[in-house]
Amino acid sequence: MALDLIFLVRTLVFPGFIFLLVLVLFFDWFERKVAARFQNRMGPSYAGPFGILQPIADYIKLFSKEDITPKQTNKLLFVAAPILAFSFFVFALFYIPIDGSNVILNSSFEGDLLLVLLLVTLANFGIFLSGWASLNPYSGIGATRVLTQFLGYDIPLILLAIGPAFLAKSLSIVNITASQSIPFVLLIPWSCALFIIVLQAELEKDPFDIPHAETEIVGGYETEYSGRKLAFIKLSEDFQFLIGAALVTVLFLGGSNGPVLFGMPEIWHIFWFIVKTLGVVFVLEYVGNVAARLRIDQVVHGNWKLLIPLSVLSLALTIGIEPLLRSVIG
Amino acid sequence: MEMFEDAVDVLKKNLEDAILEFRVPKPRKAYVLLKPERHRDAISLLLKQVENAELSTITGTDLGNEIELNYHMACGGTITIKSRVPREKPVIRTITDILPGANLYEREVFDLLGVIFEGHPNLQRLMLPENWPQGDYPLRRDWKPHANQENSFVSEETSQTETEDLKDAGSIINVIVGPQHPVLHEPEMFSFKVDGETVVDVEVRLGYVHRGIEKAAERMMYFQNVYLVERICGICNAAHTTCFCQAVEDIGNIDTPPRALYLRTIIHELNRVHSHLLLLGVAGHLLGFEALFQHVWRDREPVMDIVERITGNRLMSGFNTIGGVRRDIDPNTIEKTLKTVKEVRKRTTFYKKVFEEDPTLRLRTEGVGVLSRSDALKFCVVGPVARGSGIAMDVRKDDPYAAYEEIPFNVVSYKECDTWARLMVRAEEVLESLDILDYALSHLPSGRLRVRVQRKIPEGEAVSRVEAPRGELIHYIKSDGTAYPYRVKVRAPTLANLMAFPDAIRGAFIADIPSVIGSLDPCFSCTDRMAFLDTKNGQKWHWSLDDVNNSKNRKALI
Repeated sequence: MALDLIFLVRTLVFPGFIFLLVLVLFFDWFERKVAARFQNRMGPSYAGPFGILQPIADYIKLFSKEDITPKQTNKLLFVAAPILAFSFFVFALFYIPIDGSNVILNSSFEGDLLLVLLLVTLANFGIFLSGWASLNPYSGIGATRVLTQFLGYDIPLILLAIGPAFLAKSLSIVNITASQSIPFVLLIPWSCALFIIVLQAELEKDPFDIPHAETEIVGGYETEYSGRKLAFIKLSEDFQFLIGAALVTVLFLGGSNGPVLFGMPEIWHIFWFIVKTLGVVFVLEYVGNVAARLRIDQVVHGNWKLLIPLSVLSLALTIGIEPLLRSVIG
Repeated sequence: MEMFEDAVDVLKKNLEDAILEFRVPKPRKAYVLLKPERHRDAISLLLKQVENAELSTITGTDLGNEIELNYHMACGGTITIKSRVPREKPVIRTITDILPGANLYEREVFDLLGVIFEGHPNLQRLMLPENWPQGDYPLRRDWKPHANQENSFVSEETSQTETEDLKDAGSIINVIVGPQHPVLHEPEMFSFKVDGETVVDVEVRLGYVHRGIEKAAERMMYFQNVYLVERICGICNAAHTTCFCQAVEDIGNIDTPPRALYLRTIIHELNRVHSHLLLLGVAGHLLGFEALFQHVWRDREPVMDIVERITGNRLMSGFNTIGGVRRDIDPNTIEKTLKTVKEVRKRTTFYKKVFEEDPTLRLRTEGVGVLSRSDALKFCVVGPVARGSGIAMDVRKDDPYAAYEEIPFNVVSYKECDTWARLMVRAEEVLESLDILDYALSHLPSGRLRVRVQRKIPEGEAVSRVEAPRGELIHYIKSDGTAYPYRVKVRAPTLANLMAFPDAIRGAFIADIPSVIGSLDPCFSCTDRMAFLDTKNGQKWHWSLDDVNNSKNRKALI
């Protein structure tokens, strides 16, 4: 019985669903504020101190809006796709050790890194389906762009994620994090830099925000969505963003490892995790704000001709100098 | 300037038998009345003899028994070739086979005056809705908006997408951009045929922002019309008023004081600076470079402040008037303006460097939307678009007005012919404009601001051209000796540049649509100014997504 209670609390409240939701909203705010400052704007300022409540206000607004389902859409897919994408992302986030262990205790297993990457992929198919079900030319083009872009970045993303796994001799995220007494970013910085660039494409941020390039195809795959369903799409985008940043944190920055100064170590784990992830968000926003949007053909060409060879090279280099690195790790 | 005199000589020599009347009332302005059907000879002669000769526009004027067609040819100055057709049977041979750029102008005259151009490849309505009653030509003098206008409309449900060639076929789908779309800041419709991500073809539909300004101008007095033409376009309002006032001053033989000419130049150049900066920012936005967009617009703001300080208004300056300008500039403001000019120059130099060096920007703009020099001449494009295609034409240099004869500056042109070149032309032109401002402010002559002008303007006609931020702007005014103009014709630069758009976009990617549209810097409120519509009929085309999705179901709701 006691175990069940812990299970329930961890899943639903902390560090599970509610905590993740708050975290995602906080990251949403941080991202918007950073982007605004890069662009010499104010960013969210009115709702709460420094506008920190703006994301909540936005979601409340979206949930109270009229929810329109266009006549000619495939209703089941149209409704299910955003929820599907959203749940995949939440599920994937459950495997990220935020306070030093997974959300569901002892659920970590050898290979959950691949599971997380798989879930993110599946969620992207959910997003694709949401656009495809809309039966709108803009959504259709946006949806095909999601898949085309996905063809480009998915392989380098997995190749680059293998690097840290190889150094840690484990495919379990918890183990990878635990073995980073020295963060891997110091050992294999090239891999981390490439990972961040590829991640930019995965997160559909500039210069890769092609699937919803507003000046080209209006809203892309989300053109037809409104109200609650749009809220789900926006939420899944926010979750995706957190997963992306968190992946960099756990794979290259040592996850929640960090000095415990006083009190409960769990608090410090969470603190270090959030601080590192915020740092990653800052870098992602920086990259996104100094570039123009590329074209889909340029992205696919760039990925296949440049990023895949580079990722293979980076992985080879990691494997090659691994004995040397191991002596550093000790 | 020699170019113009040569052109006049050539015309006189070769077409002696056809010329009924030949007048050169002002330097660089010639009016040639030809025998019927001889206009083609004159135009092809000019195209052959004069390098970079283009057709500015075609003005149709209803003279009562006849309809006069004025072909305004830009060749150093303006040679207006006149040809008359009887009103009962208004038929004339097209010139589109000689000069494809005349296409839209002929359609416009057909639409609004009912002149039929024999041999035109696609003589359809340009501005008015498709179901506008047949035989109703708003720009004819006797046309009045009738009370039962609504009922006389063809009630059949016609639609742009109903046409056979716009239906989906195979892998080709139609992507409709507009009338409402984030890339367009004004309502206009582009219908793209898309195969995957590649644009196969495009159709442009104009006319969503008709305000009937040309018709309205005939019912207002000249000095009232200054404010009317100012409202043709917000962003280049000084260009429109300068152009209009010049034309009226031309007819009335009014000598504008030199200080007024300098002040006009100053406000005109400030207009150009903020218009170009606006476009460079918008280009950043269209290419997904939000940070660039926000920063350029921030640095554009001081220019707006200066405009406000000089004219009392950020945008609609209300500065020019017939015979001069309405407000003076004080020494404090001059000092402040010079300081701002310095600041803006620093920032613009930086942005120019960004456009030159940023790899993502270059990836997106280089080799995109190519408009070759010969095509540009063929379609008679103007302004930065022409200069981006290597044609160094600029009304300020070719046909100097206001104070431009005395002010040194360079005409910027790039040979790359692509979107990048068109953007670079604008970036560099801002720097030139700032130099012009520097010069004009420090060489400002003293004297009167304006001369008093009578309400009645003597009989006559005048063509006036200025280099608006988007290119050559031309006004043609015909006066019958009263306080009201007989005919006002405006051709804004966007209409000239729009013809070239389908050619530039064919074969490009969907993702290039915004940047190519943007690099033409379209201003549709300028373009759609001439038809008369009452509010009810103004809202013609509505789109529901059913229309877009389902070809069986496509219809425009009225």
